[in-house]
Amino acid sequence: MRAFDWIQPKTLDQVLELLPGPRDTKQRDRVKLLAGGQDLLGELKEYLVQPEQVVDLKSLPGLAALEFAADGGITISALVTLAALESSAELRTRSPMIAEAAGSVASVQIRNQGTVGGNLCQRPRCWYYRREQALCIKKGGAECFAYGGLNKYNAILGGGPSYIVHPSDLAPALVAAGASAVIRGKKGERRIELERFFTLPSEGSVLRENVLAPDELLLRVEVPPQTGWRSTYLKFRERSSYDFALSAVALALKLDGGTVREARIVLGGVAPIPWRADKAEAALVGKKIDDASCKQAAELALVGAEALQYNGYKIPLTQALITKALRKLS
Amino acid sequence: MTRELLQDKPPREPAPGKKWIRVTKVVNGIDSEVWEEVDDVQGPEWGPRDKLRLVSRAIPRVDGPEKVTGRAQFSHDVRLPGMLYAKVLRCPRPCAKVRLDLDAARRLKGVVGVVELGVDEVKWLGRPIAAVAAETPELAEDGLRAIVASYEDQPFAVTPARAQVDGAPLVNSKGNLRGLSRNTDTSEVDAALAKAEVKVKGTWRVPVQHHASLETHGIVVDYRGGDEATVYASTQGTFTIPGDAAGRLGLKPNQVTAVVEHMGGGFGSKFGIGIEGQAACLLAKETKRPVHLLFDRASEFHAAGNRSGGEHELEAGVSRAGELTAFKARVTRDGGISDGAGQPQPYIYAPKVAFAEQRCVHTNLDGHRAMRAPGHPQASFAMEGLMDEAAYAIGMDLVEFRKRNLPEGKRELYARQLDKCAELIGWAAHAHRSKWDASNAELKTGIGFGLARWGGGGGKDCRVEVRIASDGSVEVLSGTQDLGTGTRTYCASIVAEELGLELGQVRARIGRSTFGNANPSGGSTTAASLAPAVKHAAWNAKRALFDKLAELLGGEARNFACGGNLIYDATDKTRHIGWKDACAALGPNGLAAQGEWQSHLAANDIGGAQAAKVQVDTTTGEVKVLEMVAVQNCGLVLNELTARSQLNGGMVQALSYGLFEERVVDPDLGLFLNANFEDYKLAGCKDIPKMLAVFEDDPRGVIGMAEAAVIPGHSAIANAVRNACGVRVYEMPLTCDKILNGLIALKKA
Ligand SMILES: Cc1cc2nc3c(=O)[nH]c(=O)nc-3n(C[C@H](O)[C@H](O)[C@H](O)COP(=O)(O)OP(=O)(O)OC[C@H]3O[C@@H](n4cnc5c(N)ncnc54)[C@H](O)[C@@H]3O)c2cc1C
Repeated sequence: MRAFDWIQPKTLDQVLELLPGPRDTKQRDRVKLLAGGQDLLGELKEYLVQPEQVVDLKSLPGLAALEFAADGGITISALVTLAALESSAELRTRSPMIAEAAGSVASVQIRNQGTVGGNLCQRPRCWYYRREQALCIKKGGAECFAYGGLNKYNAILGGGPSYIVHPSDLAPALVAAGASAVIRGKKGERRIELERFFTLPSEGSVLRENVLAPDELLLRVEVPPQTGWRSTYLKFRERSSYDFALSAVALALKLDGGTVREARIVLGGVAPIPWRADKAEAALVGKKIDDASCKQAAELALVGAEALQYNGYKIPLTQALITKALRKLS
Repeated sequence: MTRELLQDKPPREPAPGKKWIRVTKVVNGIDSEVWEEVDDVQGPEWGPRDKLRLVSRAIPRVDGPEKVTGRAQFSHDVRLPGMLYAKVLRCPRPCAKVRLDLDAARRLKGVVGVVELGVDEVKWLGRPIAAVAAETPELAEDGLRAIVASYEDQPFAVTPARAQVDGAPLVNSKGNLRGLSRNTDTSEVDAALAKAEVKVKGTWRVPVQHHASLETHGIVVDYRGGDEATVYASTQGTFTIPGDAAGRLGLKPNQVTAVVEHMGGGFGSKFGIGIEGQAACLLAKETKRPVHLLFDRASEFHAAGNRSGGEHELEAGVSRAGELTAFKARVTRDGGISDGAGQPQPYIYAPKVAFAEQRCVHTNLDGHRAMRAPGHPQASFAMEGLMDEAAYAIGMDLVEFRKRNLPEGKRELYARQLDKCAELIGWAAHAHRSKWDASNAELKTGIGFGLARWGGGGGKDCRVEVRIASDGSVEVLSGTQDLGTGTRTYCASIVAEELGLELGQVRARIGRSTFGNANPSGGSTTAASLAPAVKHAAWNAKRALFDKLAELLGGEARNFACGGNLIYDATDKTRHIGWKDACAALGPNGLAAQGEWQSHLAANDIGGAQAAKVQVDTTTGEVKVLEMVAVQNCGLVLNELTARSQLNGGMVQALSYGLFEERVVDPDLGLFLNANFEDYKLAGCKDIPKMLAVFEDDPRGVIGMAEAAVIPGHSAIANAVRNACGVRVYEMPLTCDKILNGLIALKKA
């Protein structure tokens, strides 16, 4: 990696001072924030980013709190580790799917080190993007090499002009829980539904995966009370030991004597963002979970899916996961 | 085929006092068997198995504590005063004319040496073309990036398919398809196929696999000018280092000492110093400072060899009674810039008429190197698949069909091993023994089998010394290397056994080229070569000690025996002496004895069978291996624990090969996409099934048993998947996409 200055600020204001201006997109990679470093280090080593300054967020006080409000709400600060989420009994009670998603990330070592902020803001894993030599559209090039290339792991939904999948396991679970992101920039704080935090390559900048401006960072995620919801996170990986999702389903259901009152289905590993399957959600409402409703939900969730040459298997795979998740909660 | 016996019988009658034995000779890790005439002398014996105290028992590795506490020093860990860190620049293009301007790199602060690795036209992706030595690893990398390189791209082919199309760029000036068989007369096999009652065919493919040694390739050269150098090498052959290094340093081989204290795996890929070692030597010569050059992981993937891929087009005729009447194969090896190890067909089974055409296709990628049982796992995958297809085609029990087609001379062995595997995996109770499970169940279970063969014989390359000091301490010395397999441990245990001592009383000193010669570890030849020489040295030391003691105590040396730290006259137990006192009697010089290979203490020829039980989730295509069983004859097991580790490790490596591993190179960009441990997937602990390793009772001497262990596991898994759900995956690895696509195709059919 290229040599950089290592900065350990003591206050949030100092961090904000270091960051470029809100519109200064050209300067975005001049300063990089480091949380657990599990993603950033890979990027630095492959020269995908070559910052002049790396700012250690871990030296900031007060960003590692995991709080459970009396009303059932949950506040997860950006520097809470994945291991802390995974091992919190209270979280597992309030929202099993968030705890399960955290526990499904990578390996024990990476979960001990990796943070919620880093997990949500991590960059794509597409193997073209991750090779310095391939100047793909995500790196300012003209082409998505995965589109006509070796795309077994790429998107079947929401793709174009880039076909990355969002790599985060936490993101689908938090979106399904209806979480909001609290963002801090030079001009102050803003709050946004986490679902709107992530951007499709066709909507936002193809170079980015979320709405953060160059002067902003993620402070925390707030999860509304999950009372009455049952939930689960099912992740399919090629290798059990540690692997990103080929497909994943975050499912939350409000059931009333076996009948679905409300449903949230968010897919991971299949689209450039956590993919909300709203048609499938709507179709489930008022139904019991049985073979017919599972089949219908699974089909509706994948409406619009377009397979590239090598990733067609993700369609039946995702449908199977949806069915498994529904059966598990019923 | 690389390891066929030249002849079945010795070339002639042995001379008086001599005898003929089969030995395995290794060239670059590929073994072949030849006859050798050796002295027919009386020597030490391993003795009755039930009387052994240390040898063949379960002994934890003597270097275990050092390794788990991190004290063990691997080549990577070597730090020397004034040492520079070096890195290599890899050619980023598969085929290019290269021009380098090193000036800017040389001027960089902290960069001490820069060398070009002498290539104008690069023919394979990732070939090291320059190297930089600097005060820190980071500065070395900065130095690499300061090199101004211009690459004039040439057309390339990085997949076998691209290399075989009309007008493909020539990877090899003599053509991309090489090593074509001379025998092209297929008339006999074609006639047999035409007459066959039932025919089966298919094309099986295996990808390129990487050795994935945890310690990467490289060396640390301690040369500061003058006429001596020490090279710390991560190698499978201590004695492959000095000559190589001396050439680059401008020294004589005996001015270079190789040190291989511990090394982190090689699997056949680490002989000699390689391009990386050459670069380190050139840099040391230029800077006159010690240089540390060990590949990073990406370089390891690009430029440290691999197991060749292959395509096996097979066709077989089979009678309804279960006999393979005809077999025809065309094998195309994918060995990158080199030829690829032979992938022998028909593998083990013996059709009545067989024909195999062998050839290789060249691509602009790193050449293959020997890898644990070169050629055999590839051949096994195709052949075992074909065996199941043939059995299904005639509706015969998969084990029974195998037993009917075993090779002459091996029928009893393999039948017994197949039966044992079948028993241990629960074959009799399995519902789908002659057809696969066609039910609509979501989770399905299947079982598969495979066979293995290997030579594993030794040879007379080892010289071992045993020293007994007057303070009672004992050392065994050999230049051999321990690949993590337990060599150091059996060196000590064999000596302790022979001298009647406890294991902790003997210290094994190995991994240094100033000690006695030893063969490189390739073709499973180390144990069968070294252990007999260790035994012989210990036996000679014991005899020399007894001679001394007979002078001292009276009695006859040949009646002496030892045990429990005591030496005594077996005919008169009152005549005895404690170990310490006995050694004190040796005087300040102590005693040293040499040992050489003893053919009667080693043997050759391994056979094994494995079975796998898997569960397939037909909705997701997930394959979960539930159980694996390995049954093998192993000769004298030197250490039950390390031998078991070899069988378990073989099953693990085969599982990983079958389910996950594959080199991925973009054919258009010429870019290696998964040259790291995230995208190149190796099995981890959660992927490992319940494993059972069984050694058959085997009265023979020591045989190298580690390679056979890796041959059939993935074949058994692929067969188990087919048995479970009907999907025949013809191309490894068996990932969920292939299984889901296969299930969809089955449904349509
Ligand atoms: C081998 C391997 C396997 C992995 N497997 C998985 C997996 O299965 N599932 C999964 O979800 N992830 C996986 N990861 C990805 C990732 O490393 C972890 O998920 C981890 O949570 C990242 O967190 P971190 O704190 O280490 O991030 P960092 O590397 O510190 O940061 C990641 C990125 O986010 C930015 N960032 C960090 N914090 C903030 C903030 N508060 N505001 C704004 N930007 C911020 C950084 O600048 C950087 O660009 C894997 C990584 C590796 C190396």
